[in-house]
Amino acid sequence: MAENNQPLSSTERIKMASDGLRGTFVESLANEITGSINEDDYALVRFHGMYVQDDRDRRDERAAKKLERLYSFMIRLRLTGGVISPEQYITLHNIAGENSTGTLKITTRQTIQLHGVLKSKVKPTLKAFNQAGLTTLATCGDVNRNVLCSSHPIQSPCHTEIYDYAREIAARMLPKTNAYYEIWLNGEKLIDKELEADPLYQNRYMPRKFKVGIAIPPNNDIDVLGNDLALIAIIENDKLKGFNIAVGGGMSATHGNSDHYARLASVLGFVSGKENVLKAVYEVATIQRDYGNRSDRKVARLKYTVDRLGLPFWKEELERRCGFEMEAPRPYRFESRKDFYGWEQNHEGLWYYTLYIENGRILDDEKLSLKSALLEVAKTGKAAFTFTCNQNLILGNIQQPDKAIIQEILDRYKIIEHTDNASALRKNAMACVALNTCPLALAEAQRYMPVLLDKIEPLLIKHGLETDEIIMRMTGCPNGCSRPYAAEIGLVGSALGKYNLHIGGDRIGERLNKLYKESLNEEEILTMLDYLFGTYKSERTDGETFGDFAFEKWVHSTDLIRTASSFSEINMPKPYHIALNEDPAIRL
Amino acid sequence: MLVSNKMKLVEEILSTFTREELFWLNGYIAGKFHSTSQTETAIPVKPSVNKITITYGTETGNSKKLASEFAAKAKTRGINAKIISLDQYRLNDLPKEEYLLSIISTQGDGEPPAAAKKFYDHIHKNDSKLNKLKYGVLALGDTSYPLFCKAGEDVDQQLNKLGGERLMPLRKCDVDYESEAHAWFGQVLHQLSSIANSNNTDIFAPAVTKKSTGKKIYNGTILSNTNLNDRGSNKETHHIEIAADDIEYLPGDSLGVIPENPVTAVEAILQLLDIDRTKTFSFRNEEVTAFGLLKKKLNIFYLPERVVTKYAGLINQDIPPTKIGLFDLLRIYPLPNNNQFEQLIDILEPIAPRLYSISSSPEAHNGEVHITVAKDRFTVQEEQKCGLCSDYLTTLPEETNIEFYVHKNSLFRLPADDKDIIMIGPGTGIAPFRSFLAHRDATGASGRNWLLFGDQHFVTDFLYQTELQNWKETGTLTKINLAFSRDQQEKVYVQHKMLQHGQELYEWLSNGASIYVCGSKEPMSTDVEDTLLQIVEKFGNKTIEEAVQFVEQLKEDGRYLKDVY
Ligand code: SRM
Ligand SMILES: Cc1cc2nc3c(=O)[nH]c(=O)nc-3n(C[C@H](O)[C@H](O)[C@H](O)COP(=O)(O)OP(=O)(O)OC[C@H]3O[C@@H](n4cnc5c(N)ncnc54)[C@H](O)[C@@H]3O)c2cc1C
Ligand SMILES: Cc1cc2nc3c(=O)[nH]c(=O)nc-3n(C[C@H](O)[C@H](O)[C@H](O)COP(=O)(O)O)c2cc1C
Ligand code: SF4
Repeated sequence: MAENNQPLSSTERIKMASDGLRGTFVESLANEITGSINEDDYALVRFHGMYVQDDRDRRDERAAKKLERLYSFMIRLRLTGGVISPEQYITLHNIAGENSTGTLKITTRQTIQLHGVLKSKVKPTLKAFNQAGLTTLATCGDVNRNVLCSSHPIQSPCHTEIYDYAREIAARMLPKTNAYYEIWLNGEKLIDKELEADPLYQNRYMPRKFKVGIAIPPNNDIDVLGNDLALIAIIENDKLKGFNIAVGGGMSATHGNSDHYARLASVLGFVSGKENVLKAVYEVATIQRDYGNRSDRKVARLKYTVDRLGLPFWKEELERRCGFEMEAPRPYRFESRKDFYGWEQNHEGLWYYTLYIENGRILDDEKLSLKSALLEVAKTGKAAFTFTCNQNLILGNIQQPDKAIIQEILDRYKIIEHTDNASALRKNAMACVALNTCPLALAEAQRYMPVLLDKIEPLLIKHGLETDEIIMRMTGCPNGCSRPYAAEIGLVGSALGKYNLHIGGDRIGERLNKLYKESLNEEEILTMLDYLFGTYKSERTDGETFGDFAFEKWVHSTDLIRTASSFSEINMPKPYHIALNEDPAIRL
Repeated sequence: MLVSNKMKLVEEILSTFTREELFWLNGYIAGKFHSTSQTETAIPVKPSVNKITITYGTETGNSKKLASEFAAKAKTRGINAKIISLDQYRLNDLPKEEYLLSIISTQGDGEPPAAAKKFYDHIHKNDSKLNKLKYGVLALGDTSYPLFCKAGEDVDQQLNKLGGERLMPLRKCDVDYESEAHAWFGQVLHQLSSIANSNNTDIFAPAVTKKSTGKKIYNGTILSNTNLNDRGSNKETHHIEIAADDIEYLPGDSLGVIPENPVTAVEAILQLLDIDRTKTFSFRNEEVTAFGLLKKKLNIFYLPERVVTKYAGLINQDIPPTKIGLFDLLRIYPLPNNNQFEQLIDILEPIAPRLYSISSSPEAHNGEVHITVAKDRFTVQEEQKCGLCSDYLTTLPEETNIEFYVHKNSLFRLPADDKDIIMIGPGTGIAPFRSFLAHRDATGASGRNWLLFGDQHFVTDFLYQTELQNWKETGTLTKINLAFSRDQQEKVYVQHKMLQHGQELYEWLSNGASIYVCGSKEPMSTDVEDTLLQIVEKFGNKTIEEAVQFVEQLKEDGRYLKDVY
């Protein structure tokens, strides 16, 4: 029985019966007649960092051929803070070529996914990763996901120090099971199961995925408030003081169901001292573990536990479990939520080049040989790789003398030209994967977004808005993988060729947008945007962003069903945190 | 002379006799006459020939069936007939042989059945004198093939060359061989008895064989024609469903199809020879237009050397005897004048039928018949070409009508419902096994079923994957192992999977399972046989001789069956 005395969801039962995530993988892998795995293993394989998918474009045709669906595995890497060494990147490049579609997909949680890995290729792939010191363990499933960390070192001398927190959190919240090594790496079978006893996850893991992110103001490039647990670094005259801890972020909603909603994290308080911070993070997880809904996965995320039990409860329970009190949140200020394209130099004089990657897809195509270019860069060994939550890449830690070498490669492959020529809109746009691999997709996203942008750009030019850094995001369904509800313009797929138009989110990720128009086709989208842009251009006040203008003008007054906006409003009064004591999140 | 009521009696009795029995009776009465004239006591004469050997060389069981029917009939005449398959026949026995009958079919392009190869070659190489031998050859064949009953003809002549004496002239039977074959044997029996009883053998002229009615030709409609291989495959294997209400067949039978030549090729030749397409010619006592001849009757592709040689004779020119298409032949070595077309027709051969293992079951697919056709692709001087029939079939659109016949294979049959079967069928070899499984599924047969299938790639070439998955799900398919040769570094084939599961395979066999092999003859079927021997040797801890013996026994018991091509 779950806490609410409702029967446990089937996933809960599968987890508990899984013998430390071992499930029936041995059998599933030995089964020659299908490219898929046993049904119960579907839920479990995610904990190992994989999803079994099929090519949705090919279903009917294969059925006619009496062939099963074209099953393959999507494999997601664990790259805390998006950091990967050049050597590891080379391994990744090679494996992608051999065992997957070949495309390296940078995700909105700053890691890499490979698609189309056949069952027979899974073990070799994971073995190769392992040899390169890479893992996929716990990048999916009801566990702590890839820990996000602001990816722009240039922003702060404290970056390294803060990134270290991210690594600690990731390490401490890794499942203890040995199953991953046994199943995929032919490791020894663990006899004494005591050795993998897991005080955090026990045998039931989290009620749902659990996401942690660390932002370094003033940039909110990681969209920190979209995480279950958000850490906002508080830096006073170049020294890291500690973190504001916020809980209850999450994007997913369901069309026409107000019980499922996007929500931004609410600040609970300020914690300082590394051990205390790590302790607090850990205990937030244990509270969610113990109080999260285990009968209905739709409302199992921490955001619902927060709203069910209330912030006061959370503050008290957290302090009780930590054994110390939190301080009042410290003031901070987000000013942007973007990647700083082009060359930048940090306080130590090291160089960084941020390049634009459309929808985070690293591949060679007729337009651009991005994949080859990056391989060449990696081979120089003179640049560190960091992926961003905007699905881009930063080549960093480049010594002054090496800058020219990297520059030459990027020039030769026209990467710099490509980045410079991308419009402001494009550079700040994101789309999720969606079709053809995502089983939940209702509409196209990453395959369609570029085409749509081609048609939106002229509208912006027409209204003289081509340099506006409007944040636009698209998804193929309401799950919100590209965080469309936190965008100034959100397009959420409702059916093939149909999208809900959300507007009014702010530029810095502190206010969610609201549904403005439902299921528009392309033509309707364009007509609507033309009108919105026109009105914005003629009526906006100085420096007013499209999102802020749209919010006031069109959606502010829309009656507050429990949409995320209502929370963000009480949580983060606009324009910025002028008076913190006005923040109800703190008036507990 | 007889009192009328006696006469009536005789006639009544005689009317119940078959033609063969009459032959015998005649001999009997003759004998009775003979003997009564010596001694007063009437003892019916046993023909002095009381031991004959009936050998058979068969591919699909017809010859074998006849052999055993003949043997049974011989016994009723007190003749002890030993029947033996030509591959079991001890060649050293041949010189000692006195009375030998050989029933042999023709396969391939005028070749003996695989099982008769050893014997066939032996009598062709060897020149030992067979002075004792009195023999008769019954040749089974099919007039729609260019070389009708060739193997039988060869054996008949060869035995004669070696000094054998014909007991009965060679008899060539078409596919509707039954009555004709029995008539022939009746005469053989008559001969045997008359040898004993009088030297006057020709009281009865051999029964004039009635004109062959040929085989039953069905007319069906293509319901669907789907390429089972996915994009990116090197293969193109079509699952073809044909509607034919009146069709009768059993799992294990094959479909015989006579392909039509492509119109373009036909037109090209008509043009080259500048012949009126509508002008009719007689071909095998049938009036056909020039177009019809070239489209449906005559083989114009890849003419065998023997035809090329005949053509060289016709236009008296030296032509290197190589296989070549008719168009090229006529282009390079033109007919002196086009009115020689008649002579050309005379030397050209009919389009030979092609066989396709039936992949459906009458129990599961009522009123339909399915086949599984691999497009036969090959390159000739960098040019991609396709086999005539597989190309014809795989390009047939839905709704088109198609003529075909059923080629029975009484040797490739399911065992009793409760017996286990092991099916080894890579590539199109899976066809009859889809039929077996569908059949056993529909009839709820209790025997266990184990399939070993293989092809190039799991993703693109797993023929009938979803159907097999369902049968595995429902338990009809007990066990399935797959060998996809090109999904990993080292090549993996069905025989490797057999070995991997050798222990279990041997257990199944010891349990009475039958093992079936279908697909390419070379190298698959030989590799499989070698592996089978290894398995029996290893897991049955036997000497290689014992293993061979074990497998031979399987063959004799009809538990090791092949349908390979
Ligand atoms: C790859 C990625 C989108 C991208 O284009 O980058 C992605 C892709 C998928 N997400 Fe997501 N999500 C991705 C970030 C997100 C985010 C953004 C974030 O975390 O900042 C969200 C919204 C935040 C949140 O979690 O609320 C997100 C909310 C979801 C949900 C809704 C969760 C919920 O609370 O209901 C699902 C569906 C589910 O889990 O049931 C989902 C499920 C999926 C799956 C695995 C579909 C599935 O469950 O089978 C998608 C795989 C598609 C494919 O073929 O690759 N994904 N997903 C992102 C990978 C992140 C990573 O590296 O871990
Ligand atoms: C009992 C039995 C069962 C069978 N079952 C099946 C089955 O289930 N499925 C299946 O797909 N097949 C099956 N076959 C094989 C089938 O009967 C045919 O042999 C096959 O389809 C090839 O015939 P075709 O007319 O397409 O090729 P053909 O035109 O007969 O050519 C056959 C070969 O001749 C050579 N050749 C032909 N023309 C030329 C040329 N111009 N130049 C050079 N070389 C040339 C090539 O090597 C070619 O591969 C079976 C055969 C038998 C005997
Ligand atoms: C692949 C194949 C090729 C054949 N080729 C010939 C042939 O060249 N000449 C012929 O007269 N009959 C040919 N036949 C017909 C068979 O001889 C005929 O069907 C006979 O009844 C088979 O007898 P069996 O079952 O004892 O083998 C061929 C049959 C098959 C299956
Ligand atoms: S948002 Fe929906 S469609 Fe897009 S990747 Fe996530 S689950 Fe798939």
